[in-house]
Amino acid sequence: MLFMEARPDGRAVVYAHIQADPLVARAADLLAAGTTTQRLLARAVMNGESTDPEHWRAMFPSLFGPAAPAVGDPVRDRSEDLLAVSLAVADRGEQTRSQFRGAIVEALTERLLAERTGPVRRERRILFDGRPAEIHPYDVTVERDGAAEAWDCKWGARGIKGDVIHQLDDARRGAGAEGGKLLVGLVIFDARRSCEVRLVRERGPVALEGLKLIALEGLDRLAGRKPS
Amino acid sequence: MSTTVADLIARARAAFETLAATAEPVSEEFQYLADLETVWGARLKSVADARGADPAPVGAEAAIEALEAEASAITDPHRAIDWMSTLPQVALAALGEAA
Repeated sequence: MLFMEARPDGRAVVYAHIQADPLVARAADLLAAGTTTQRLLARAVMNGESTDPEHWRAMFPSLFGPAAPAVGDPVRDRSEDLLAVSLAVADRGEQTRSQFRGAIVEALTERLLAERTGPVRRERRILFDGRPAEIHPYDVTVERDGAAEAWDCKWGARGIKGDVIHQLDDARRGAGAEGGKLLVGLVIFDARRSCEVRLVRERGPVALEGLKLIALEGLDRLAGRKPS
Repeated sequence: MSTTVADLIARARAAFETLAATAEPVSEEFQYLADLETVWGARLKSVADARGADPAPVGAEAAIEALEAEASAITDPHRAIDWMSTLPQVALAALGEAA
């Protein structure tokens, strides 16, 4: 099993600019330290219509209401920062915000994995006996001898499609055929309940036992932490 | 008479139906929409069954009101589909429930 750089195509060159935007890193840093409810806030705002911060504060009383940590508390400050960053993403327009959201999930995954293991890389292809598993690169990989991992990251449950599942399963089976082991999975910034129904419908002939699903509520598992 | 958890669950389910109606033109996602309605409807009903008579937690009514406004503002069917997953999660969080 050999990890290698993906050859950038036109889409990758454009997307690289999105990935390098400081807003992506800022959002990913805040989300990596965030609670499940703070991550839910980010998902709602980045996918929302309203640009009024008070609208979102009202929607999340546990973060901003009377019982929430007071202004100046680090947890409250993170909620405020995440709200501001999420509104900045939402303000980019539909096409651009969609790209930002994808890049943020990838950057978040990279950060959480790096807390537990490494080395963590982005946009990598995997070769088995010189044969590439698939044309498309895997979003985030852990290239550790004997404990390698390959993850695909999606903003929402609708990103779970048969070809994505097949690509991950192909890599897992390729590693097994070489006598190795590769943990493969999906990181979905969406509710687990929604991801599960999508996964069952889209899996086709793929056995799901070999595929990890990390949804919004369980993101801390990537870092080896208990869900917050 | 104070607002109960059941009152707010009913309003959240109505907002969810608004999203479902907006999402309906995306015919290739018919099955996914039906699945979302099944699993989230059941989850919300389970909370109403267990805690329906309880008074609504502080801030929950304003949260549901904001959710209703957001659901009504969404006109893009694809965004509505995404929100059919998010709205129940947010409503449950406002009621102090896990997703």
